[in-house]
Amino acid sequence: MLFQISEQIVNGIVTGAVYALVAVGMTMIFGVLRAINFAHGEYYMVGTFGAWVAIEYFDLPYPIAIVAGVIATAFVALVVGQFVMQRMVGAPAEAGVLATLGIALILQNTVILVFGGGYKFFEGGYIEPVTIFGISLAEQRLLIIAVAVLVFFGLELLVTHSRMGKAMRAVSQNVDCCAVVGIDVRKVVVRTFILGAALAGLSGVLTAPVNVSVYGGMGELITFKTLPIIIMGGLGNVRGTFFAAMILGIAESLVATYVGLQFRDTVGFATLMLVLMWRPHGLFSSQARY
Amino acid sequence: MSGPNARYGAFSLRGAQLAAKEINATGGIDGRKIEIFSADSQGTPVEGVSATKRLIAQDKVDFVIGDVSSSVTLAMQPVVEDAGVLLINAASSNPKITYAAGVGGFKWSFRNYPTDENRALIVAQYAAEKRGFTKFAVLSVDSDYGRSAIEFTKKYLPRFKGQILTEDYYKEGEVDFRSVLAKIRDSGAQAIIMYGLADTTPIVARQMTEVGLAGKIPLIGNGEFNTEKTIKSAPKAMEGAVEAAAWLPAWDSPKSKAFVTKFNAEYREAPNNHAYVHWETVNLLGKAVEAAKSIDRAQVRDALAKIKYDSAVGEVTFDDHNQAKLPMILLQIEDGKPVVKGAYSADIDYPR
Repeated sequence: MLFQISEQIVNGIVTGAVYALVAVGMTMIFGVLRAINFAHGEYYMVGTFGAWVAIEYFDLPYPIAIVAGVIATAFVALVVGQFVMQRMVGAPAEAGVLATLGIALILQNTVILVFGGGYKFFEGGYIEPVTIFGISLAEQRLLIIAVAVLVFFGLELLVTHSRMGKAMRAVSQNVDCCAVVGIDVRKVVVRTFILGAALAGLSGVLTAPVNVSVYGGMGELITFKTLPIIIMGGLGNVRGTFFAAMILGIAESLVATYVGLQFRDTVGFATLMLVLMWRPHGLFSSQARY
Repeated sequence: MSGPNARYGAFSLRGAQLAAKEINATGGIDGRKIEIFSADSQGTPVEGVSATKRLIAQDKVDFVIGDVSSSVTLAMQPVVEDAGVLLINAASSNPKITYAAGVGGFKWSFRNYPTDENRALIVAQYAAEKRGFTKFAVLSVDSDYGRSAIEFTKKYLPRFKGQILTEDYYKEGEVDFRSVLAKIRDSGAQAIIMYGLADTTPIVARQMTEVGLAGKIPLIGNGEFNTEKTIKSAPKAMEGAVEAAAWLPAWDSPKSKAFVTKFNAEYREAPNNHAYVHWETVNLLGKAVEAAKSIDRAQVRDALAKIKYDSAVGEVTFDDHNQAKLPMILLQIEDGKPVVKGAYSADIDYPR
């Protein structure tokens, strides 16, 4: 019994690590833009497809496919950032909702147009199971946890020690003051956007080997999983997002085991409602961004 | 042919046309030639009803074969009943179609195809009798199809002293099955009953490998277990998987092989299940007309109800619900390849 619960908690942490990688990008984008990016799951999808193309069409090994997937996502994000997202600075909230929903549809349909709507098989990755303390996990899952920890550590360093990170924090606090002191707000917005989208792409490439099937609509579910996480974590709060992702991952894993798999997708919003009743601003302060 | 099932419809028409051509080439049935009229239901009940009415009123057809979609067939049943025209379904699998036929009400609709209930029963029977499983876990898609397949399985498991230990349904698009698979592993189940989507099977198979289920607890049910891609995704987990099909091109019988060759020669493509069942159904109908020695509709109907027909899979007869009692082909994955384990049929219990 105790072993079973601990195994489910480990399963939850692995799921949480994936959610954390996707959600952190979305929360950072919210921080600088004040807009929820409804196309976030589509960057996850673009990353996966980038890697799939690298393996399927160019026969590249998986580690290079990871890089290819992230570069493909960053490139798409650069285009979208230049033409759409930087116009969102100071725009009303509904503009952001409409623009990102539109981008989500365009990205999905472009991929379906080019590669067809069917499910594709993702080859590659490290899927052999390893057993630690009796709990069996694919090597790929350990890689995902390691990458998530590294990414959060790196982001911490970036926002506290680099010029770019400091500019991001400043923009997230007050756009007008940043403009007054000469910070190029649009440049900061586009860079944050590319970074956030690339992280979503990275988690797409990392999870593809264990999720096996790749298709144009795969990002939708990710967006809807990520929304409650970033609200729970306090919109724009990076550390809060990490913990919220872990809480959701573990809660989902326990619910899937002890209540029923069919209830898994309801866990996110149910937990969110409970948390918001108790702490209306989320688990962590939305003032303490990054 | 248009709509979501257009591809299946095209195969069906080609199968039927091939049968008509063959029969006509040998002089027809008692000197009468068969003529095939095609109509397009577009996969929707409304279009299906008006297409059926057109076939009966304008083309003056004697017999109707169709439709691929269960909801269309259900809508066609009252139409043929009013017109007194024989309808033979050859592709819909919803059990309701024959619950409502024969002694259940409609006198003019027949079905020459196994239902979801047949499939669930045959798979459960094979798992219990040939593999000796009694303890099952359920992991099916959360849809009418997945849920009703499990309902039918539960209906028949007591026959084989089988019991279900855990029951889970997944939403379309679900990608994380590890929690549930770990629960199944610890539950003592001997097999997982899965009626699911083709694209989910490889994910489940891979994660079975992760939680240490591969090679220990096989999948049984339906979900394109036998495709190359699925087996390749996790060969060890797919080993021993069992599923049932109405027909397969690989089915080893002279009649079946001859059909595949002829279809290939005629259309330069391989036939699928839908082409086969429609080809067989035209032949079946021909035999019924021969037995009736007339094309009087009522006499053909009565001849069909009593027929003993040798199909490429095995003997076909009809029960009092006008449902064909016909064998299904069972497949098992062995050494990474689907192996046909034989054809099985089983009697279903109709609800009273």
